[in-house]
Formats: sequence, structure tokens, C-alpha cells
Amino acid sequence: MSDLAMTASVPPPRRRHLLPWLYLAPAILTLGLWIYWPLIDAFRLSFYEWNMLPTAEPKFVGWQNYENIFALQKFWQSLNNTVIYVVGLWPLAVLLPLAIAIYTHDLPRRSRNVYRAIIFVPLIIAPVVAAAVWRWLLDPRYGLVNEGIGTLGYRAVRFLQDPKIAIWTIIVLTGWKLIGFSTLILSAANANINPSLIEAARMDGATRWAVIRDVRLPLLRSTVLFLTLMTILLGAQWSFSYIQVLTGGGPLGATTNIFYILWDFGFSSLSVGWSSAAAVILFLGFGLLAFILFRLIDRYSFHDN
Amino acid sequence: MNRKTFLLGTLASLGVAFAAPALSQSTPRTVDQKVTISYYNYNLASAGNGADATKRLIAQFEAANPNIKVDGVGAAPNDLTARVQADIAANRVPDVVQMVFSDLDFSVTNLGAVALESFVPPDELAAHFDGISPNGRKLGVIDGKTYGLAYTFSTPVLFYNADIFKAAGLDPDKPPKTWAEVKAAALAITKKTKADGLLTGIFGPSAGDWLFQGVVRSNNGGVMSADRRKLVFAEPAAVEAVAMLRDLYDSGAYTNLDVTAAMETMAAGKAGMYLQTSAVQGFLVKGATGKFDLRASTMPRFGDKPQRPNNSGSALVILSRDPLKRRAAWELMKFMTSKEAYTVITRDIGYLPLRTDIVNDPQYLGDWVKKHPLLQPNLEQLAILEPWESFPGPNYRQIQKMMMDGAEQAVFGGGDPAKAMKQAQDSAQALMPK
Repeated sequence: MSDLAMTASVPPPRRRHLLPWLYLAPAILTLGLWIYWPLIDAFRLSFYEWNMLPTAEPKFVGWQNYENIFALQKFWQSLNNTVIYVVGLWPLAVLLPLAIAIYTHDLPRRSRNVYRAIIFVPLIIAPVVAAAVWRWLLDPRYGLVNEGIGTLGYRAVRFLQDPKIAIWTIIVLTGWKLIGFSTLILSAANANINPSLIEAARMDGATRWAVIRDVRLPLLRSTVLFLTLMTILLGAQWSFSYIQVLTGGGPLGATTNIFYILWDFGFSSLSVGWSSAAAVILFLGFGLLAFILFRLIDRYSFHDN
Repeated sequence: MNRKTFLLGTLASLGVAFAAPALSQSTPRTVDQKVTISYYNYNLASAGNGADATKRLIAQFEAANPNIKVDGVGAAPNDLTARVQADIAANRVPDVVQMVFSDLDFSVTNLGAVALESFVPPDELAAHFDGISPNGRKLGVIDGKTYGLAYTFSTPVLFYNADIFKAAGLDPDKPPKTWAEVKAAALAITKKTKADGLLTGIFGPSAGDWLFQGVVRSNNGGVMSADRRKLVFAEPAAVEAVAMLRDLYDSGAYTNLDVTAAMETMAAGKAGMYLQTSAVQGFLVKGATGKFDLRASTMPRFGDKPQRPNNSGSALVILSRDPLKRRAAWELMKFMTSKEAYTVITRDIGYLPLRTDIVNDPQYLGDWVKKHPLLQPNLEQLAILEPWESFPGPNYRQIQKMMMDGAEQAVFGGGDPAKAMKQAQDSAQALMPK
């Protein structure tokens, strides 16, 4: 290693300029090959009709793929649903975990760990397994949940079959799994708050609620904004496996979202044109959203030190 | 894999594609050297009976043909074509594929399925076709050439629970034959018992469109013009069929359950009637044995119009490009569509026998059929079977999805059926090859 460093310091200035690039080359090449090249190629392929077969020639179709996607009635329905997913997931992915993180922080060490472990468990269950179990639990006739509702004297709820309810069922299931993750992040951020700030507030006679409102929440703001960003950008994606296993986007397209429908129409038949056009639409749409959100985060984040 | 080998691979596969027509002339008549072929099969991916029976068939074939080794590859029916497509793109061309009928056109125009007439000597082909049901054989024919042999296929069967029929004051020996009778029976059931009247497998993400096509056709409607260029599923006859389903649903006779739930409800003895492929028979029998009297009838018809069922299921298709492998693939195909194989397929998995003469032959299915009357409606319908049509062009799947989305909206969504079907047809027509 030191040999290399010594020889590197000897060569003339011209070669010295090249050296950093040489060190960076593996990273740049990998990024280029696996990220940027496919990205640019997706733009190109979105104007072709092709099914990836060596026997078939890619056919240039202009904006046809985009027109097909925008003409899909389900596309607009799913866009609408995506907004519902994000809005519905936010309380479960941010608000509830925030409350849990702050509340459990003051518990004795042992019970705090037990409590958080319980909340964390859903996260490590494979989504497809969880979905299969939920399907049994929520079955309108034999499911445990509806048995319970039945004994209370109410009619069975068609959790996954009623177009009005199904999307909320999927949101709750997705959120149920997310709570653990968000709680973990928020607990860590909460534990990172400098205790001397809290102590100072207490000495000034602040109540418990005042400490939370005026010290903890402002200091947790950047984490909350980060989780909000994640929910907006990825929330609908997290529900994919539940949609796939439990409803397949139905009933009547009520649970489909933008990710699911684009996968359904593009990837399930390996139509590279459809898929690429879909990917480009998502890339541009969510890219714009992410840009705005990052600007907001920079503006509203508050840092302790 | 680096870029260079990738390019070389692509070039090589292109080379093979161009060379294939020339090679096909010299397909050998026997397999006299060791060869391994791949066999893509969706029963292998299923749990239970289908997988076991298929593995047994493969083992039997290998024992009879010591030179040929068969690599079984399992994938779910919905994913099988995508899997085949990906493997061809990666230059691993499958040899024999169990292709769902709706993907048959695509496998001919895009996946390079080989017409049997193009490499099997005519006398040998004729000898193998002898005894095959003509309606069954027609299913694998496109433009006059045989690209596939029906393998696991079935017809729509109206299963019914005779105990529930009795409880509702209906005669279980006279099952409903028309849709109007089905409606009356279903309403009697929902009124007098706690069971569901009618369940079907027409709609749902994994249902495909085969059963829907049968219903539309029974009203003398269709999904596509004869020259396969124009979609016609919004024409009056088709809309009338959709409106009939809508009326069944609105009246409470027809309960909308997803595919799995419908199957489980019927098997649990909590539904009066269930229209679905005969392939679920094994599952239903398991649930019914010792608990209730499960019976079956043919698919309902519209008034006095003839009943026109079409098949579900799959055909075996050969994709091999190498002459020796092609020969080996044909040997496998011959075995899998032989009397012996059909006995196993019918008895152990629950499909129809492509060779109807084994039904009465005690050496094959003779005794079994006598003990299992559920197969009868399925056999009756084989005589009048019509092919499940597959949409043309690279967007065939999207077209199918749009049609089924439109129909689902028309039946359960509360809108005007004619409008929903028209809208679906207009958007889907734009995706048809021009």
C-alpha cells in the first residue's frame, strides 16, 4: 500500500490528474452500467414495441406507448387510489409511531424493550406470508375477525371484497407492517436528543407535555419530514405484495395503485415498451415530487447542533 | 456476464433463429444419442396432486426412453409465458411448454412454436392423431397447422350441492339447464337456506377470459371477428349475455366471491351452485366426501339457443430449434398425449381425456368413470367443444385485461352494461394489430 502511495507521488503532473479518476473508475463504471445506462435506455425503449425476444425486431412506435397508458381508464383510477394510499398511510407511518416512540421513551428499560419488540415483529414477517394469514383472518364467512364481529351482533364485513372498504383494508395492513420501522427510526432520533436540553426545560418548570411540544417535537422535525417523504414516495409501493396476494387490484380496480397497474400492464407480459414508458412516467412524476419535498425539508428542518 | 459474451450470446441466438428453418428438414426419426430437454409445466408448480402426477409421468417417460433426460421446470400458469419469454431472451430456449390456450397465438407468432406438420413425417403424425377427439385436436390448430396438442384441458361444469337443492325444495335430479332456471333455483336457495345461490369463476385476477368467452358464445356472441382483426365483445349479443349476468347479480342470485373464496365456499358445502372448470373437481370432491352430495351438470344455456362451451387449459407446444432436441421433444409430446398419460391426467388431476376411447376401455378409465359420474357433463361437452380464442398481436394480454375489466364493471359496477363494454372495446381495439 505504501509502495503504491509513493509511486503515485512521483509521476509528472499530467498523470497525477488521471490518478483520482482511476480510483473512481470502478464506482463510476458500476453506476453507469447499472443505473445510468438502463435509465437512458428505458427512455429509448419507451418509444418501441418489443417483447425482449431475440426473434422479434423492436418496432418504433413513437408516442404510442404513452398514449396507450394515458388512455387506460384504470390509469386515472389508480392515480387517484395512489393519493388515497399515501394520505391513508401517513397517520400509520408517521403519527402513530411518533406517539409510540415518545410514549415508550419514558418507560422503564425492560418494559420499553418488550413493548418495542412487539411493535417491531410485523416488520420481519415476510409480506406474502402475512398477506396469506390476513386473508384467512379477514374471510367474510370463516375468518376470526368476522366471527368476532358476528358475536357482537353485526353483519360480516367484506374487508377485501367490498370496493369501498378494500383499499382501507390494504392501507391498514401495509401500515401495520410500517409502524415497526417508523417507530424504530423515531425512537432512535428521540434517544439522540441531548438530555441536557430536557433537563434545562424541566428546571424551568416545564410540564411533561410542554417538554414534548417545545423540545422533543421540534428536534424530531427532520426525522418526521424524512418519514413523510418516504411515505409519499414509497408508500403505495409498500402495499404491492398485499395487493398482489389479496386482491389483485380488485374488486373493480378499487385497490390498484399506480405501481401495481403499470406492473400489471407492462411487466406481466414483458412488453418492454409499456414497461419503459410506465417507468419513465413514474420517474418523472416522482422525481418532480421528490425535488419539491427535498426543498421543503431543507427549508423546515431544524438541527440541534 | 460481461458485455462481450452478452453480445455474442445475442448474435448466436439470432444465428440459430435464422438457421432453424434450414435445420428442420433434417429432424432424425429416432433419438440415438443422449439428449436433455426442458419441459415447462404449470402443474409442477402446483401443490398436491398435479405436481405428483406430472413427476410420475416424466419418470415413466424417462424409463421408456433411456436416451432422453427431461428437466421439469415449474411456473404458475399466469407467469409461465413470461418465464418462457425471459428464458428465450436469455437464449435458453425451452423445448416443450405447457402453454395456456390464450397464449397460443403469441407463442406461434412470437415465441417460435413449431408446427408439427413441419418436421414430423405425415404417416407418423397421422398414426398419433388416430383416436384423438377431433374437437380436442382443433384447439391447437392455428391457420390450418397443428402447433399444440391439447394437454390439460377442461370444460365449464355447473357443480351443485344436492343436499342444498333438497333443502330449498328443488329436485336434485333435474339440475337447471338454462340461465333462467339457474336464476330461479339460486333465488329459491337464498330464500330457503343460508347458502349462496350461485358462484362462478368467470371474474377475478387469475380467472382469465375463457369462461366469459363461453357465456358470450352461448348467446351467439363472440369476442373477435372471424378474420381476427375486429373486436366484437360490445355487440348486442355479447352485451345481452353480460346484462344477464348483471341481472343475476342484482337479483341476489349470484354472489361475487374471488376465485379462491368461491372454490372454498363450494367445497365447504355453503353454496348451491358453482360454475367453474372441471379441473377443480378434485378439490371439491375432497371437501364433499362424507359431508354432502356433490353433483355436476353441463354449462347453462340461453333459452333455446344451443349451449356452446369452450375449453380452459393448456396445450403442449414445441419450441426446440435443434433437430435432435426437437425429435426428443416430439417423443415427450407423444408420450404425454398417449392413452396411458391421459388416464393419469383425467384420473389424478381432473382434466378431460383428449382420447375419448379410453373412457370405456377397462384397461384405462373404464372402471374409474363408472365410479365417478362427475366426469359425465365434462365428457358430454367435449363433443360440442369450441376453441378458446386467443387475441392476436403483442398486446394480447392487455386486450384480454381490458375486456375483462369492462365486463366486471358492467356486471358488478352498477353502470350501463352496453356503455361499459363499448368503452372497453374501443380502447382495446386500438391495441389490435393493424
